[in-house]
Amino acid sequence: MDTLLLSRIQFGDTAAFHILWPLMSIGLALYMCGMEVMWLTTGREQYYRQARFWAKIFVLTFAIGVASGFPLAFQFGTNWAAFSAATGSFFGNILGFETTIAFTLETVSLGILIFGWHKVPRAVHLLANMGVLVGASISAFWIMVANSWMQSPQGVHLEKGIIAVDNYRAAILNSESLTSFAHMWVACVESTLFLIAGISAWVLLRVARLRAGSAIPVVETDTLRARHTFFLDAFKYCLVLMIIITPLQLVVGDLSGVLVARLQPEKLAAMELHWDTNAPGTGAPWSAVAVPRATSADGTGGNALALEVPNGLSIITTHSADGTVAGLNSFAVDDRPNTAQAVLTFYAFRLMMLIGVVLVALMLLGLWYWYRGKLALDAVLVRPNFLRLWVWAIPLGFIATEAGWMVREIGRQPWILYHLMRTSEGVSSNLSAPVTGVVIVAITLVYLALVSLFIYFTARIVRDGPDLSSRLP
Amino acid sequence: MTATLLQNVWYVIICAELALYILLDGGNLGVGILSLLPQKEEERSRMLQILGPIWNANETWLLVAAGSLFGAFPLVYSIGLNALYVPGMVIVVGLIGRAVAFEFHVYTERKVWWSKIFGVSSVLVALGQGMALGGLLSGITIAGKQFAGSVWDFATPLTLLITVGILCSYLVLGYAYLIRVERYANEHESFGHLLRYAVLTFAALLLATIFLPQTNYLFFSRWSTPPAMYALWGIALAIVAVSLWVGWELWHKRHPERLYFLCLGLFVLGTAGMLVGTYPYMLPPTLTIADAASAPATQQFMLWGIGPLLPIILAYNWYLHRIFRNSFVEEK
Repeated sequence: MDTLLLSRIQFGDTAAFHILWPLMSIGLALYMCGMEVMWLTTGREQYYRQARFWAKIFVLTFAIGVASGFPLAFQFGTNWAAFSAATGSFFGNILGFETTIAFTLETVSLGILIFGWHKVPRAVHLLANMGVLVGASISAFWIMVANSWMQSPQGVHLEKGIIAVDNYRAAILNSESLTSFAHMWVACVESTLFLIAGISAWVLLRVARLRAGSAIPVVETDTLRARHTFFLDAFKYCLVLMIIITPLQLVVGDLSGVLVARLQPEKLAAMELHWDTNAPGTGAPWSAVAVPRATSADGTGGNALALEVPNGLSIITTHSADGTVAGLNSFAVDDRPNTAQAVLTFYAFRLMMLIGVVLVALMLLGLWYWYRGKLALDAVLVRPNFLRLWVWAIPLGFIATEAGWMVREIGRQPWILYHLMRTSEGVSSNLSAPVTGVVIVAITLVYLALVSLFIYFTARIVRDGPDLSSRLP
Repeated sequence: MTATLLQNVWYVIICAELALYILLDGGNLGVGILSLLPQKEEERSRMLQILGPIWNANETWLLVAAGSLFGAFPLVYSIGLNALYVPGMVIVVGLIGRAVAFEFHVYTERKVWWSKIFGVSSVLVALGQGMALGGLLSGITIAGKQFAGSVWDFATPLTLLITVGILCSYLVLGYAYLIRVERYANEHESFGHLLRYAVLTFAALLLATIFLPQTNYLFFSRWSTPPAMYALWGIALAIVAVSLWVGWELWHKRHPERLYFLCLGLFVLGTAGMLVGTYPYMLPPTLTIADAASAPATQQFMLWGIGPLLPIILAYNWYLHRIFRNSFVEEK
């Protein structure tokens, strides 16, 4: 294999893995921040216990996030030297901002957040907690700025193959960056809320099974009941936050889609498998499912099979029944995603949307149960199927995020810097394919080990449960 | 500001960030490495506890320096890492291992395992840094604005010497750090270890310094043409003097605090010597500060974005170190 393909595999591999952890770090930091604020304002101990307990899992997500972030930062130099050399003036600058402005704040705050409970005043500790949240969020902001700029490189021009920045404001606040950051940040929070709720449901489900399995009524000590209540509380806090977050994500996601239609018509055509531009006076259909036929000799293609909603795509993207939507065949074959890439983005996009809707439905179901009084401890423990639903939902947010990133990155191909630089022009010179291959295998093995260990340790932390009796700071 | 001045300001900032990384995290990295040497597991756990609250923040300076380098001197970042792919990946694997092993160690019952992984990862980070520095000083082949050598170019005899020197010097810092922090239990042995590794460091890096001018004419002329030669010989003299002072303190086994700072001083002197020897080259023997710099507009923008924040960042780092000064934390 050539080093271009290997470098792409390596980057895709490491990025897909890395994204999981900041997702949880940001979400957990927000949750802990909320809990600590509630503790300081109401003085109720239960909030303090929540903040302490979930911090244990936060530490793991943070450590793995940092660890898996190193290869990404280094790879820009090692594998994408030509891209880095050409875009360093802006792209490198932004990554420099990320480490200097965001990461320093986050790591220092983390030290105090984890080890400072009995060492600093409560208000300082809350500040540290906020420092972690703000640091992680700013970090995500700069990364999204850098990536959005790759999608819509505004405020710059190429000069002898090197980027020259004309307008920093335009480059940083390009048309994509704020919407993309919002979409990603909300995804972080949403995925984590379903993680916390799912973990809590898992604990309750185990209790429910235990109760159902024993012939005589189980006598539970107060400590045990307090522990179950702890997880039920966590479940409810998440549910409250979901009321805002899950519908918000549908709105922000829609905004994101509208932007793609406006700024990257090739990507839109690919993720909708829309081949031929609709003739004036007719509407472009929206396909729910589509299978493309083999590409013709000239590179053009079409669908062999499609389940279509007439005029759907025109209505969604142009808000008129016969608005023109450019099809894949109207772009030069070398300047747009190929058929395989289009199919990947098409299904990834549908998967993401479907999950977004499912999560809203799940939120509504939870609220309905709550409203009907079925979320009292003894009531919820006799409803294992309800709990099971939430355990199954744990991976959904993560899958949706990965799918969204696939649409975003694969849909941008063949460009590394949209319409300015091709991916094939960005790769390092004189890399060794065997060495790169070994690195990919090694890193993937390490990553698999890390995921397994994370699940193992998280399961243990959850099984051991919260410490409900230690001295308050 | 003129372009040249800006470039030099950024050069100094990045060197300062790297120096901060060595000063703050060098001891922590050293402790990680020496935790591998035979000792009781409780002792090892105590070592990790000392590092707990601070090491993450300390290690961040390496990333900060890398980030600044990417923005201010993109060619160094791209060509340098492209050429030093193998050392770079060794460092990455080490950093990954350190980050996760540290946290897993807290939760696991198999402490031995994870402290071993932490130790081995720390060794990898030190080795990778030695290999990278060795590869850099051995010279990087550049054609046009691209790396034109092979990924194995870094592997030279010089690199071997420098790698041994770097590894041993981190051990020196590690022992000095332990002796200082909490009147480390094995204090008496530590003085002996420290001395041994200090001698090894000195020998390896001295040999490397003698070797260096032979690999590259640039370095030879530095030792023989003013004004660089005055600075270099001055730094060499200072290193000898401070080394003797360290030896004196070790012999009398006292002043843990002073000992630690003397060792740090040696590190700073060595780094300064290297910088004087290579300035204005960033990737010897071809790429200079001016060649590698990004556009003045970028450097200026970055300076405005980051410059005012640096004092604030230093302030909260200082606060963190003050809270956890000389303490080791039982609870997590």
